[in-house]
Amino acid sequence: MHSVLKLAMASLSLAAAAAWSAPITFNTALPVHEGGYVWREQLIFRQSADDPTPARRDMQVTGLVSVLGYGVTADFALFGMLPWFDKRLDMRMGEQDLSRSQSGVGDLTVLGRYTAYQYDAPGRTLRIAPFLGVKAPTGEDDARDGLGRLPPALQSGSGSWDALGGAVLTYQTLDFQIDSQLSYQANREANGFQAGNRWRVDGSLQYRLLPRRLGGGVPAFLYGVLEARLLHATKDRVGGSADPNSGGATLFISPGLQYVTKKWILEAGVQVPVQQRLNGSALETDYLFTSGFRVNF
Amino acid sequence: MKFINYIQALGMAVSLLMATAAALAAGPSYRLAVDGLACPFCAYGIEKKLSALAGVERLETNIEDGSVIVTMQDGAILDEAAAQQAVKAAGFSLRTFEQVAPGAPEGQ
Repeated sequence: MHSVLKLAMASLSLAAAAAWSAPITFNTALPVHEGGYVWREQLIFRQSADDPTPARRDMQVTGLVSVLGYGVTADFALFGMLPWFDKRLDMRMGEQDLSRSQSGVGDLTVLGRYTAYQYDAPGRTLRIAPFLGVKAPTGEDDARDGLGRLPPALQSGSGSWDALGGAVLTYQTLDFQIDSQLSYQANREANGFQAGNRWRVDGSLQYRLLPRRLGGGVPAFLYGVLEARLLHATKDRVGGSADPNSGGATLFISPGLQYVTKKWILEAGVQVPVQQRLNGSALETDYLFTSGFRVNF
Repeated sequence: MKFINYIQALGMAVSLLMATAAALAAGPSYRLAVDGLACPFCAYGIEKKLSALAGVERLETNIEDGSVIVTMQDGAILDEAAAQQAVKAAGFSLRTFEQVAPGAPEGQ
């Protein structure tokens, strides 16, 4: 069950980190110009209904993720991400059907990214940028319903201060762009629960479908997008003991489309798990749909 | 009918006159070759930074050849160091800087 929370949070934080990037599901090193802002909104829907256990768990998470990026200098940018969640879990307990849900603002993540290496040439650029961030417990982590305290997977926040860091590489040309990211998030304990730490490796290819030939000026681009994400999480700890039904590895493949103009971007994609090796009866993901926009100002 | 034709001709003449006056009033133009410019979303920052420079009249970005034509107001010039700083602040690199058209002569 706890892996559901981790996967949802991972997906949403990845989406948020993509605020300054071309990829749909993760961050890259594309620039936010000095003194400029990037605002991103993403609507995310996640479905997990393929539960083989008698509980027949069916979980749906809808998230609206607001992201604001600011270019402090040409090389250093700050990003803030605040999600809003609507979570619902239906399950069967004994002969009863139960439904539990929770809505609210989630945890705020703040990231700093520094472009450590940059090579520019006509019509292309290569950038490598490490980033470091912290997740603050701004979301509700002690929500209750008639059955008592909601499980961590249904809480809007984790209740803990967590740290994350990594590096992102971008190679962009006029015809295509390749991005790759490696990141790690260390989670801390709150309310007797500690979500497992996680590694994440991302890759993305964006290929210009339209216009086929570039003319003068700055035409809008339609990109076809194919992304892959490997997520590995260690087991959660409950009351100091490892939860055997949590953690594991998932590989997502995500086709999508982006319409890119000078001022704004529209994008949508579907993340499909092609390999899930989760521990015990941790709930697997069926799919994750993402759509949103970005604005430069 | 003839009156309508007369009005249309008069309108075209006025438009032509205004366009010519604007062209004559424009200052020098510069061509900036910018390295790293590879997508439409990136072009916004460079246009924002260059248009903030004093005396800039208009910009024409061409993403295919990575160039920006900067036309200055009458009597204004573009300093290469300022252009380089603006391009860098936008997150790119200035490769070459050249004046491609002189400004209108004094008194025009």
